[in-house]
Amino acid sequence: MAFDWRDQPTLTAAPEPAAAPASAPASAQRVEVDVSLLATWLGFADMQRRTLEAIQGELTRTSDHVEESTLDLSHRFRDLAEKALEQSSRVEQIVAMAGSVDIDGERLPLDQLVNGMQDMIAEMIANIVQLSMRAMSMVYLLDDVQKDVGELEKSIGDIDAINRQTNFLALNATIEASRAGEAGRTFAVVAQEVRHLSRTTSELADRMRTKVGAVVTGVRNGHDILREIANTDMSPQMLAKERVDKTMESLVEQTAHFQSVLETAAGASNEMSGTIGRMVTGMQFQDLTKQRLEAVGDSLTVMSAGLEELEDRTRGSLPAGSDIPVPQAWLDHLLDRFRLSDMRQRFVRKLLMEGSALDLHGALDVDAGQDDSSGGDIELF
Amino acid sequence: MDYGIDVKEQEAVVQLKGRLTFNDHAKLRALIREMLQNKAKRQVLDLSALEFVDSAGIGMLLIAREEMANVDKQLVLRAATGQVKRVLTVAQLNKIVAIED
Repeated sequence: MAFDWRDQPTLTAAPEPAAAPASAPASAQRVEVDVSLLATWLGFADMQRRTLEAIQGELTRTSDHVEESTLDLSHRFRDLAEKALEQSSRVEQIVAMAGSVDIDGERLPLDQLVNGMQDMIAEMIANIVQLSMRAMSMVYLLDDVQKDVGELEKSIGDIDAINRQTNFLALNATIEASRAGEAGRTFAVVAQEVRHLSRTTSELADRMRTKVGAVVTGVRNGHDILREIANTDMSPQMLAKERVDKTMESLVEQTAHFQSVLETAAGASNEMSGTIGRMVTGMQFQDLTKQRLEAVGDSLTVMSAGLEELEDRTRGSLPAGSDIPVPQAWLDHLLDRFRLSDMRQRFVRKLLMEGSALDLHGALDVDAGQDDSSGGDIELF
Repeated sequence: MDYGIDVKEQEAVVQLKGRLTFNDHAKLRALIREMLQNKAKRQVLDLSALEFVDSAGIGMLLIAREEMANVDKQLVLRAATGQVKRVLTVAQLNKIVAIED
């Protein structure tokens, strides 16, 4: 919206009596100025000064707001960085633990443990192989013993046959001796002794048969038990090593994978904490902003003071009782710019309530008050 | 288990077939005797047609190795496959007996 303060109705009482005609030779530093123009300028200057003061107030307010928010953000980011560091140290602890196992209060690296267990299993299998071989040797040995014992039984049978024959021969000799009468008496004694020997031999053969029988039974039982042992197939247990090896390898591999993932996670946490640190450093822009805003504020103060001085001088030059017009159109145009209700309210207070235009613009103030309930923040977006 | 022997000048090759288990112990003893009697220095057991071996079978193979060593002959296990190969590997028999592919 364009405006032109020059269109303001002139409220001055009377025009200044014309000084020198325009055609008169101008004295070095003086020109003719309409009193109404000076009064208008004075009204405008007053409003401008107050606008400058209001702007200065807004600058300070904005700077404070930015400072407060930045401090709060820095604080939160520092917390975040600390937490990220804690996180990475926790993960590093897990990484250190992951590769080893606690056994009886001693920490053993997992790969060493796995190697030890694999060696143990290999030794166990070697023992199984050796046992199988010894068991089979025993089986072959007992096969032979059993054969020998069978032959022994047969030999005892042979002794019995010989004995029976000896006994029979001795009996015949006794008969022949008694038939020979006196001449055969000595022979009869010998025959009697032979029969006696035969009986003793027979008893011995009986005892041997009993003992050999016991040995045969023992050997056969032992043989059966041994066959049973040797016949117990241990190959599935041996092949279980394949499965155990694969499980162990997978376990070691998986642990290594976990470790590498966790190491990456710890690195990421460290990086995160570093990035957050740099963000906190980056927020020092607020300091610079504050200094700049302060410099702008200072220059506004200087302008304001200059304006006030000029106003005083101008007022002194005007005839007493001159009416100072309010630059209404300019004021409307300015206030139209403020969309934030609280800021608008502050400007209205500064420009109108401290000035003479309160009655004319009272409605503005009321509107601003109502708008406030919706909150300045929402209007921002 | 069945077997057949092919005796050449340098080596005797014994082809084993089927399953070698404890039940074959008498048959294996007879085989060992045959291997002791032939002249070849290298006694090769071809296991390519052997489907299965139990722990007693492994024990008997080791007895065969020992018997051969006693008379200065070498026992070689050749071309094991499947379960037989796996058991020989797991038992680390290559530390005791010569094993060929």
